[in-house]
Amino acid sequence: MAPTSCSLCRDAKAILKRPKTGQQICKNCFFFVFETEVHHTITESELFKPGDRVAIGASGGKDSTVLAYVMKTLNERYNYGLDLFLLSIDEGITGYRDDSLETVKRNQQQYDMPLKILSYDELYGWTMDAIVEQIGKKNNCTFCGVFRRQALDRGAASLKVDHIVTGHNADDIAETVLMNIMRGDIARLGRCTSICTQGEDTIKRSKPFKYAYEKEIVMYAYFKKLDYFSTECIYSPDAYRGHARTFLKDLEAARPSAIIDIIHSGEAFEVKEEIKAAQKAQQTCKRCGYMSSNDLCKACTLLEGLERGMASSVITDRARKNMDAMGPAPDNIRTIPLFRSTPTIAVELPSQS
Amino acid sequence: MSSCGNPAAEEQALMPRRLKFGNSKDCVRCRLKPGNIVIRHAVYCKECFTPIVDMKFRKVLEPSVNARVGTSKRPKLKASGNLCLGFSGGLGSSILLDIVHNTYFSGRTPLDDSGKPRGGTNHPRNASVWPSCIVCYVEACGAFAGMQDRTEDIRSVVERYPSFDFVPLRIEDAFDGSWWTKVSGLKSTPQVWLELSKEGLLTDDLHVASQVTGLTPVEAMRSYLSSLPTQTAISSALQNLARVLILHTAHSRGSSHLLFGTSLTSLSISLLSSISQGGGYTIREELQEEWAPVAASGSKPSNVLRVIRPLRDVTAKECAVYAWWNNISVIGRDKQRRAIIGIVALTKNFVVGLEKDYPSTVSTIARTCEKLEPKDAPSGQCRLCKRPMQSAIQEWKGRISIRSYSDDKLAADLAHIPSPCRGNLDTSIPSQVPPILALTDFLCYSCHTTLTSRSSRGVKQPAPGVSSATPLPIWVADRGLYEDGLMGDGARRKIPEEEMLDTVAEFLIDNQDCEE
Repeated sequence: MAPTSCSLCRDAKAILKRPKTGQQICKNCFFFVFETEVHHTITESELFKPGDRVAIGASGGKDSTVLAYVMKTLNERYNYGLDLFLLSIDEGITGYRDDSLETVKRNQQQYDMPLKILSYDELYGWTMDAIVEQIGKKNNCTFCGVFRRQALDRGAASLKVDHIVTGHNADDIAETVLMNIMRGDIARLGRCTSICTQGEDTIKRSKPFKYAYEKEIVMYAYFKKLDYFSTECIYSPDAYRGHARTFLKDLEAARPSAIIDIIHSGEAFEVKEEIKAAQKAQQTCKRCGYMSSNDLCKACTLLEGLERGMASSVITDRARKNMDAMGPAPDNIRTIPLFRSTPTIAVELPSQS
Repeated sequence: MSSCGNPAAEEQALMPRRLKFGNSKDCVRCRLKPGNIVIRHAVYCKECFTPIVDMKFRKVLEPSVNARVGTSKRPKLKASGNLCLGFSGGLGSSILLDIVHNTYFSGRTPLDDSGKPRGGTNHPRNASVWPSCIVCYVEACGAFAGMQDRTEDIRSVVERYPSFDFVPLRIEDAFDGSWWTKVSGLKSTPQVWLELSKEGLLTDDLHVASQVTGLTPVEAMRSYLSSLPTQTAISSALQNLARVLILHTAHSRGSSHLLFGTSLTSLSISLLSSISQGGGYTIREELQEEWAPVAASGSKPSNVLRVIRPLRDVTAKECAVYAWWNNISVIGRDKQRRAIIGIVALTKNFVVGLEKDYPSTVSTIARTCEKLEPKDAPSGQCRLCKRPMQSAIQEWKGRISIRSYSDDKLAADLAHIPSPCRGNLDTSIPSQVPPILALTDFLCYSCHTTLTSRSSRGVKQPAPGVSSATPLPIWVADRGLYEDGLMGDGARRKIPEEEMLDTVAEFLIDNQDCEE
């Protein structure tokens, strides 16, 4: 059978079928459309302005590795005028994060970007290994997720950046839409399809890979021979997300456009005004100054639970009330330092070798 | 396997399974009798269960019966038109028929000593909420060869309720001009045909083709279904055809209300499935809808038909128990249609699986969707599904994926195309091509996706002699496709490499080329 020619350039031989469109295209056209689509996502949402300092949330996994590579490429190609940094969070998971951080350090050399690594131990006085030792694997993702979000903001503040970009891809967003519907999380459902979110005191966060399929990111990394590490966490038993993920993969197998169709759905609806009005207003945490919908932010609540040896009982609001009923927090527990937008933490620069 | 059914999850990481019910085995309502059924961790006895389901039914339906909301806390129920019930033969719609009949049509008006209705037959209290009720059933056997016609079985069920009139429809009526004339009152409406690609599927641009005559409604419908690119599209198209057939029939019969027997479980399935097919904009219509055909310019607007799902607070389990305890016979839905594997079937398996272990998740899906509304005002009504349509759908699709280098928006980016791919690239300004009529801009996101989104698997080659065009349902041109100015724009660990290859292998055409 004669080789199929690329349906875009109609010249080269097609070597892959794009998961997103089903078109048979050549390798060079794949690189071009992948990068140009990310460029369009960035420019049409006006994510950056010249001179912005942008931190790339880097885990060493495929998404963030490809993101760092594509951001660097686009910044040079289209003269965005951005100062790019790599920002990694060390959760303190032996045998998992220390290996992936090695990949990030190699990326720092390859892409010639300053790197900042901020650890849970440094910020909270607890590593995930220590947390899991106390609470077991159940609910440990709650601690990790809450701590990571705040750690990224604090790391970004230390780099004095205006913006954090993360490698969340279309599959992640579609999965989150489904999950928020299934667990009735109206507040998150309302904002999970936004390309850029910004709290009152926090740094802007955005997802340039919002419309990029996970399979295409893997394909891009494969053809570009990028250096990345598998980031399947050894403590990740998030059964609920697992259900949503399996369901999404089934939908994608039935019709590949399902991923983008779910994102379109998520962008087409919004939470009713009367429901929004009943939601809690955003304030700042009385202990650490980070944004919060209660007197204490979730990270301070979880940390207090850990310090008081009641960590497994502070996941829900009701459990939090039970802990409050047992009296105020002792003075000698560790707390998170006050959040300031311009703290000074040393930044590791790439060596000039 | 763990309690949540996820084989990958470790036991230690999961929530412990909740008790099936609370401490007491007595009915939580009367607190006297031992319970017979557990509904979401609460125990009910047989006597209390039926009134609870009836109450849930009325609680959803009755606030929407009167055309206007008055000031009275318990207003007298009086609908502005007739009632239409959508009947599939399934569990929910069988219960719907029974409850509607017992509640509103069984003639339980209080009688005086002489055995006549108290206050006379003309007393407002004794008037029916709806003057009459029709039951619509859509027979889909024409869609598949070898499928049994069940119309007579369904008729025998409906005839058990003497107050109801049976209105049988056939799925191929959607392609039948005489049916359309009957329900719309329009003498003739041209049928729209779309071009087919070499593979026998609809083209991405949905170009309108010249008409081909001589097809019977069944042939036209089968041609339409075979031109759809996925199993998901076929099942979604069948659902839509049946829905629009019933909507038009109900409207033509002067109905003010159309009721479907969608249970909470079915509702959650349809909500999640609709979102997965890009139907987020019409999520409100999936729950409850006020529908009227778009009036032709200059004519009087039509009466509004309220589409309500009064069993939307009753789970499938409750429906099954209700049917069993009240001796309601259920024919069941046709098996061949249910066997279509697509997003609807996958969602059904997923939600039904969840319902067994996490009954509250099913309710959460519906409750969450009730809190949503479309972001922008509609730009019109979709020609195919007759639901509100969002604006700028094609712009959105074009923005998120590049499908052609001839797009004007790419002009500035084409300079960055790698040189090996520039050979055949035509970057010149396209010559003036005469505009071609295209349907793309007159479809909602979901319908456009249904018609054009393809499977990742290869398509079957069409049989030789297959037509180059396919007809669309007759209502697509109800407002006059050609007179309405519907002109298109006319433009036509360290990860080993093997593991990475495995992930993307199904998308690679020739693995040898990957080593370049």
